[in-house]
Amino acid sequence: MPPRRVIELRGITKRFVDGPPVLRGVDLTVPRGCLYGLVGPGAAGKSVLLKLVVGLLRPDAGALLIEGEDITGLDELRLHRVRARIGMLFQNNALFDHMTVGENIAFPLRRAGVTDAAALAERVADRLRMVSLPGFEDRMPAGLSGGQKKRIGVARATALKADIVLYDEPAAGLDPVTSQKIFDTLRAEQREAGATVVMVSSDIERLLTITDRVGMLHRGRLIFDGTTAEALASRDPRVDQFVHGKTDGPL
Amino acid sequence: MAPPVAPATPPDDALDGDAERPRPRGLAADTGQLLIEGVRAFRGLFDVALRTVYWSLKGRREKGVVLEQAFEIGNKSVFFLTVTQGFIGMILVFQSGLQARRVVPDLTMLGATFLELLVRDLAATLASMMLATRVGAGIAAEIGSMVVTEQVDALRMCGVDPVDWLVVPRFLASVVMTGVLIFYAGAIAYFAGGATAWAVFDVQPQTYLNARLLDIGDVSIGLAKCVAYGAAIPIVSGWCGLSARGGSEGVGIATTQAVVFSSLAVIILNLVISGVGFVLFPV
Amino acid sequence: MSQASEREGLSAETGRAILDLAAEVGGVAMLAGRLLRRLAPPRLDGPELARNLHRMGVKSLPIVGVTALFTGGIMVIQAGVLIRRFGAEGLLGWGAGFATLREVGPILIALMFSGRVGANNTAELGTMTVTEQIAALETLAIDPLSYLILPRCIAMVVMLFMLTVYGDVLALAGSALMGQALLGVSVATFFNGFLETIRVWDLATGLIKSVLYGVIIALSSCHFGLTVTGGAPGVGRAVNTSVVASATGIFVTDYFSTYLLG
Repeated sequence: MPPRRVIELRGITKRFVDGPPVLRGVDLTVPRGCLYGLVGPGAAGKSVLLKLVVGLLRPDAGALLIEGEDITGLDELRLHRVRARIGMLFQNNALFDHMTVGENIAFPLRRAGVTDAAALAERVADRLRMVSLPGFEDRMPAGLSGGQKKRIGVARATALKADIVLYDEPAAGLDPVTSQKIFDTLRAEQREAGATVVMVSSDIERLLTITDRVGMLHRGRLIFDGTTAEALASRDPRVDQFVHGKTDGPL
Repeated sequence: MAPPVAPATPPDDALDGDAERPRPRGLAADTGQLLIEGVRAFRGLFDVALRTVYWSLKGRREKGVVLEQAFEIGNKSVFFLTVTQGFIGMILVFQSGLQARRVVPDLTMLGATFLELLVRDLAATLASMMLATRVGAGIAAEIGSMVVTEQVDALRMCGVDPVDWLVVPRFLASVVMTGVLIFYAGAIAYFAGGATAWAVFDVQPQTYLNARLLDIGDVSIGLAKCVAYGAAIPIVSGWCGLSARGGSEGVGIATTQAVVFSSLAVIILNLVISGVGFVLFPV
Repeated sequence: MSQASEREGLSAETGRAILDLAAEVGGVAMLAGRLLRRLAPPRLDGPELARNLHRMGVKSLPIVGVTALFTGGIMVIQAGVLIRRFGAEGLLGWGAGFATLREVGPILIALMFSGRVGANNTAELGTMTVTEQIAALETLAIDPLSYLILPRCIAMVVMLFMLTVYGDVLALAGSALMGQALLGVSVATFFNGFLETIRVWDLATGLIKSVLYGVIIALSSCHFGLTVTGGAPGVGRAVNTSVVASATGIFVTDYFSTYLLG
């Protein structure tokens, strides 16, 4: 029986040189098969938290467990084994600008050992259909709009059928219709695969339509952690203000 | 220092104002901090160097990647080197001709001495200072902008060591191309110097073209410098690029650092190799 | 990167390159003219000048110091080859000192200064240009040339001059130490030889050159910073161009000033 806690942060603290701490003792658990929404005002440490989970950044204090394995002190080679099970969408999309769209989406698959050209092409085409950009294989990222880049980023993050997927702003720069469509598709795929997902988004209203649980970061601390219903009904004035988008309040 | 948060996130009151609070600091604290940063930076550089050598020996590369970089390095530098090295050849012969005339009346050894100096030191060092500027800045800018747009993180997510993927092709290309370009630059400087010697000091070409002073020591030292500089520039610049933080300003800082630190690496290596060479090959 | 742009004929490419070069040189000259006009009665932002003097000068001390010390050492090794051949220890101070003061010191320090300060300046001005901060200054009726550019240019020229004086001293110290360590020539012999043979004019030519190099670095770094187009990648390209232009300018100026100053 695999552990129920897929992602577990224990007292994670992170600060950068010459700056205030970005995260201050964050404890957070994401159970298996959960779609976890991470929200909070700008510069609250959401993106940093995602990068810590995959070991792209190292915490200054605390421990980080993926499926029960402590990855805090692992070297780059061992971390690769962990990362191979994780898909990630970066805030800036991070498309390789010297590769075509198709090569970008195929890259994680190739690195995971898929060499069959037909299988690669099939998977790439499938991902492009998922983000409503069929036939974009041979375009270069530089020629795409911001929203298109975002969707290609989503396609690449989900190319490997990973057990764990982290999305940093999957709907930024998209129109409301496409945005809702992406959220719904990602939710459907997550349900079908039983994957564990952490999603950071500023589009709180749409995000909360698909999440199971919600956490709110504020000034480097996790000030709320609970189910979506609990978040919507929270009495904490900061959470209340944030999830309902009110202009006056403590924030 | 650039702010650590991702560039797209606007600053927020959530920072608690820690950033604005000025920290009282004395000279000792400043020096200490500089020392700590120096040690940390040196360890980072050493790490990149080690991984570059490791992956150069072990890694496999897609076809044409190294060739593409080699073309890039050559294409960027040929015109620049022609102009700067042509002028430096003329200046050096003019200056040393003036100098020599004060001590010895005849300038028959001008060409031979200049050739020795070029082979031993100047061809490699001056051309590499130029390459540090041109090629080093380019490498740091390319890698740095991949860092700040998270492409390097994305590579790491796919189990790729960014040093293997980004630095090693440039390293291999640079080791070869630096040698070639130094040879070219040296030839330019030598012939520009010859023209000056002829025009200003009336030294005939047959007198100028004289390789009698060259010996195995000069050639060994010159070759050692070619290899050392060719290896150092991409490693130092790659390290600067990989350490880029923040947005486009971060890339700008990384680029300047690459120019300064690769030039410095050339100067330091020059002193070390020249010193060792001087001891190993007594005249 | 993968698709090469359409190849043009060599003559068309050369022609375009020459036109581009002429346009850049003209741009630098125009900038110089507009800055000179603002000097006639000096219209200059004092605090901004002080700030630039500090960060361009004081912060460059370590890098210039290291460069100069090592260069001094290298010059002794190169001169040492000749000293050994002719067996004249007294000439060491002359051989190392003459080349350092006249040529190598000013050039290497200028190249380092261009890499650190010039490139930084282009990057800063370039970022301000692409983020329309310069245009914003103009709409506030603040003249960017006297507020932003002139203080930077003056600071660069002044500081490169002073850094060259400082670098010359350290380079000679490096030479003397290296001569002692490697050739066994005592520091006293070194400086005696140096003082007997080096004229004030040798020092002066080097310092005059350093002022010229300062002007070149200042003008080219400001010009390429102010004319950036194409967003963040444009800033990177401008930094590269500015450093390359400065280095080329330094060598060309060196050649002509060596001829004129003798």
